[in-house]
Amino acid sequence: MATTCTISIGSDILSGFGGISESMTLTQAGTVTDIDSTTGFQRRKLSAASAVDLVTMASELIEPKDSVAAKIYIRNIGDGKGNVDKSVGVTIGVNAEPIGKLYGGDWLMMPLTCIDADDVTATPATDDTVVLEFVMFYEEA
Amino acid sequence: MATTTAAVTLTSDLLSDNMSVSASTTCVKAGTTADGLDQIEYGYVEVATGDEYDLIATTPTAAKASKLFVKNHSIDETYYIAITQNSQAIGRLYAGDWMFIPADFHDAAADIAITSNGGTNKIEYALFHEGTALTTT
Repeated sequence: MATTCTISIGSDILSGFGGISESMTLTQAGTVTDIDSTTGFQRRKLSAASAVDLVTMASELIEPKDSVAAKIYIRNIGDGKGNVDKSVGVTIGVNAEPIGKLYGGDWLMMPLTCIDADDVTATPATDDTVVLEFVMFYEEA
Repeated sequence: MATTTAAVTLTSDLLSDNMSVSASTTCVKAGTTADGLDQIEYGYVEVATGDEYDLIATTPTAAKASKLFVKNHSIDETYYIAITQNSQAIGRLYAGDWMFIPADFHDAAADIAITSNGGTNKIEYALFHEGTALTTT
């Protein structure tokens, strides 16, 4: 039951930068055992410039284990109708701390603590409709 | 004009209907549609256990676009780094794990910091950005 994630970064900013190509298998903390739980792939449509929880840690049907090897993937796919505006974005946060802004088409993959207070939030920059795709992988408490 | 692209492929067989997601994005400056990020900080450090360290020494200007890649190249699966931003715990990168985030750096305290656990962790990082607040000598 493997979950893998591969990244490829190419850039011509710096001559001699050969790019980055890395793959990881998501495992449970401190082991080589595959990670065993997921929220499943989800889609959330937002139409207001106010913060919402993408993941409310205390409300997950299966309690995630705290401070281990959880990861989340989030992508801003635009308005969900094929229109992607790279000039506006959605600020992704953890426990009210802004992590960064996903502009149209941007994605992130980051680790999570899954502590109850550390909800994952999304705050669109405008009231225009924006759709986020996301999936969290975690260990069952 | 510089061009930086980031592509991801995520697959999982945890669900009966196996998941496979692919995406690619071109990293552009804040508020633009096609003006690519044009500065980079790329490094590799060995981080001993104990203290928390800022991974990024100079803070990219707030409200601008930045993308940060971090990989833990340690081999021992029990080794990990704890990631924090502005004292908020984000999560852990165990040996072999990587992350890619749109780092915000919204104020001087919002640096990405790491703490090594288990032993000395070997960390690769790349920050793609559009400007930093340089420190005068």
